[in-house]
Amino acid sequence: MTALLDVRDLTVRFALPKPSFFAERPHLEAVRQVSFTLEAGHALGIVGESGSGKTTTAMAAIRLTRAAGGQVLFEGQDLLDLDDEQMRQRRRDVQLIFQDPYSSLNPRARVVDIVREPMDLMEIGTPEERLERVRELFALVGLRPDQLNLFPHQFSGGQRQRISIARALTTNPKLLVCDEPVSALDVAIQAQILNLLAELKEKLGLSYLFISHDLGVVRHVCDDVAVMYLGKIVESGPVQALFEAPQHPYTQALLAAAPSLARRKSKGYVRPLKVSGDPPSPINPPPGCAFADRCPKAQDVCRQTPPVLQPVAGTQAACHFPGPADV
Amino acid sequence: MSDQTTTEYQAESPAREAWRMFRRNIPALIGVVMLTVIVLATSYGTFLYGGDPFEIVWAPHEPPGVTPEFPMGTDYLGRDLIAGLLTGGGPTLAVGLAAAAITMAIGISFGALAGYYGGWVDNLLMRITEFFQVLPALLFAMVLVTLFSPSLLTIAMAIGVVSWPQTARLTRAEFLKIKELEYVTAARAIGARNKRIIWKVILPNAAPPLIVSATLTIGVAILFEAGLSFLGLGDPNVMSWGLMIGANREYILDAWWPVTFPGLAIFFTVFAVSLIGDGLNDAFNPKLRER
Amino acid sequence: MSALLEIDDLRVTFGTRYGEVTALDSVSLHVDAGETLGVVGESGCGKSITALSVMGLIPQPPGKIAGGSIRLNGEELIGANPARLRGLRGGDVAMIFQEPMTSLNPVFTVGDQIAEAIMLHQNVDKAQALKDAIALLDRVGIPSPDARARDYPHQLSGGMRQRVMIAMAVSCRPKVLIADEPTTALDVTVQAQIFDLLNEIQRDFGAAIVLITHDMGAISEMADRVAVMYAGRVIEEASADDVLDYPQHPYARGLIDCIPALGRDDHRLAEIPGVVPPLHLLGAGCAFAERCAHKQDRCGLEKPLLAAHGHHPVACHGIEEGRI
Repeated sequence: MTALLDVRDLTVRFALPKPSFFAERPHLEAVRQVSFTLEAGHALGIVGESGSGKTTTAMAAIRLTRAAGGQVLFEGQDLLDLDDEQMRQRRRDVQLIFQDPYSSLNPRARVVDIVREPMDLMEIGTPEERLERVRELFALVGLRPDQLNLFPHQFSGGQRQRISIARALTTNPKLLVCDEPVSALDVAIQAQILNLLAELKEKLGLSYLFISHDLGVVRHVCDDVAVMYLGKIVESGPVQALFEAPQHPYTQALLAAAPSLARRKSKGYVRPLKVSGDPPSPINPPPGCAFADRCPKAQDVCRQTPPVLQPVAGTQAACHFPGPADV
Repeated sequence: MSDQTTTEYQAESPAREAWRMFRRNIPALIGVVMLTVIVLATSYGTFLYGGDPFEIVWAPHEPPGVTPEFPMGTDYLGRDLIAGLLTGGGPTLAVGLAAAAITMAIGISFGALAGYYGGWVDNLLMRITEFFQVLPALLFAMVLVTLFSPSLLTIAMAIGVVSWPQTARLTRAEFLKIKELEYVTAARAIGARNKRIIWKVILPNAAPPLIVSATLTIGVAILFEAGLSFLGLGDPNVMSWGLMIGANREYILDAWWPVTFPGLAIFFTVFAVSLIGDGLNDAFNPKLRER
Repeated sequence: MSALLEIDDLRVTFGTRYGEVTALDSVSLHVDAGETLGVVGESGCGKSITALSVMGLIPQPPGKIAGGSIRLNGEELIGANPARLRGLRGGDVAMIFQEPMTSLNPVFTVGDQIAEAIMLHQNVDKAQALKDAIALLDRVGIPSPDARARDYPHQLSGGMRQRVMIAMAVSCRPKVLIADEPTTALDVTVQAQIFDLLNEIQRDFGAAIVLITHDMGAISEMADRVAVMYAGRVIEEASADDVLDYPQHPYARGLIDCIPALGRDDHRLAEIPGVVPPLHLLGAGCAFAERCAHKQDRCGLEKPLLAAHGHHPVACHGIEEGRI
């Protein structure tokens, strides 16, 4: 089976301001040689905290952020090699849903125009066919046809996210990048959108690259997960294996930190695995494992040699001392 | 399907919503009324009133309210001041509008390109902007007008050329802010080209402060025109309020009225324009909407 | 015996362009020393307004406290004179906000800001206050507190800033600590640290904590008792275990079932259809009726009252009538 998306050694650098006029411009490596594959019809979750590079990874993979190196093979074709016009044409296959339903829709355009715009740009169909397609999409995502002529500010957050999804589906894409699509929504609305995404995936055979900080959401939506920390993937694998038997201490810490209904104050719950402090700065990453400073298992080797991703018991982990959490 | 509450809204566009806000702003409405009266008076007044503003019709320096035919009196040559005020408003307003249009055209182009592309484009365009900004504006305009012989067009261009840097900076700031928003990324993600993103996506969203600024620029341009005319650099063949003030300024100690009436006309015009500008500013400000 | 903080039948209205709307409607809550009360609900349910009412920070106008009482240790806060309220704020009652960056003043060092808070309520000189501030920074788990006290807010990470906010809030050993979505802006590992810190502080100081959140997971880990709010009313109130294990109100059930929680595998999440109605469109009946699968005629006509029907207090006609 060939992968829909095969990302190899993707690296993204951001230029920082020069400390002085003659100094060399310093760079920040937001994404450091990240590789992953996404099978057609699957959903791959990228999990991480802020600053982990998860969004940058996705944006660089679909060329909305410039990559400094690596390959992004989409159906075997390297997107990073395409010229601007070729990439523009390719965009119909790769679409995007954003986190903030309030800033992702142009406030000065009617929603019918927002959803139709991709067809206008790609010159798909006649005006009547385009309008028909918009109506079809509205029905598909659960909006009413009498809402076509409204403006974005007249919708609730959940409805806006539906509009955003409709716009992304206009050109019948194969891959949908979802960047924290529900984290700005209230829980009751989150469920509506997650169910819609699950439905669409099944109905249209979509593949998702799903960025989220919420482990519960990722577990619900995704088939595979990659956990990122400071610009690198530290563990990846099928959802089941990674959530039930995480091998990397950071994954274990994330799972221990995520609030859960199973943990009750009344039952005297005390968090078993505590991680102190904040992630180190990406401007000057530590030479060894980036998690070493916060890791309960860290040894000298962790601070000196960066670990590489390798298979361990059902997942792949980048850790010198992988293994089940000792609680 | 879920999530279908009945919304109490009609399809109200942002522009219409701003208009609804504007209508409730009393000072702004007063401004609109004042400006309408001024525009109507200066465009149709001449035909109704008749009379050539350059024609000498009476003794010089006739005070206002003495001779019934000339209720505002006459100037130093004995020309009717009412005829001058009615005829002179048109060119004054025209120069103001033209200058504001030129200011906006240059300022928005520079600001939009600098803000959107950033990098060396931004650097180059902003250095040019700064060059124009540090020139003493009035002096520079005087030089331009003297070089190209005073006419309404040169005056408007001179004013435009010296006042665009502010608009460029404002536009650039708005573009820098808006280009980071997700709907701009969304436009790129669906394959929109730069040209479309700049003019069709970002500019309409940057419009509110620019419209306010354009309105205020009209006021400033009118003052500028008056200033140039006052210094004797107005178009001598076209009656304007500035020209009236400029021509009569030497006799101000003998006769206050030939200077005061056009001065008041300029004051009320600029005041009306400012009221409208402030009203637009409030109308576009979403924070004030919920009140 | 009366509780440490008692809110009784509180009613708060706001003047808007749609006329006067009721933001809080007969809200009654209480919390005791050493206890954590979780107040949970979606945005716009009135949980933050409740917190601001206790702090005496409702902007008036457009807001108005239209009735009810708030008592701290038996002392009535509504209508108390402003000087007394200022004394209580930051003294006996302290609050932690959602966004630690905007609630700290960017032009002063964090040490100065904590010292300032201390000097407002305690009769100590600047040097002593600064010393106390550093001790507090140490207490809330900030490494090398001496150096950090001289930092400005922007030099600290989000988690550190929230620790500073907590240090400032507990500087006067408040009896009641109100935490309004204290971890929403933070990452999960940092959120866990802040939760653990709040629990420690409660053990040390014996403070009552009112935790305002939209996250049932946070409620589960932190709260002893829970009040579920919807459209300005408390619709269910009981111990955390009761609410989480036996939610009664259809809305509370929905809130718990719709979370894609870890350790649960549902193919499809339960949904609550629709959205919270805007306050100005609330009718005479139950505010949840339009989204409720068990709606009957009475629900649209008459507001249900919070009362013990069977298991624990809940405001629902269906449960009262025994049909849910």
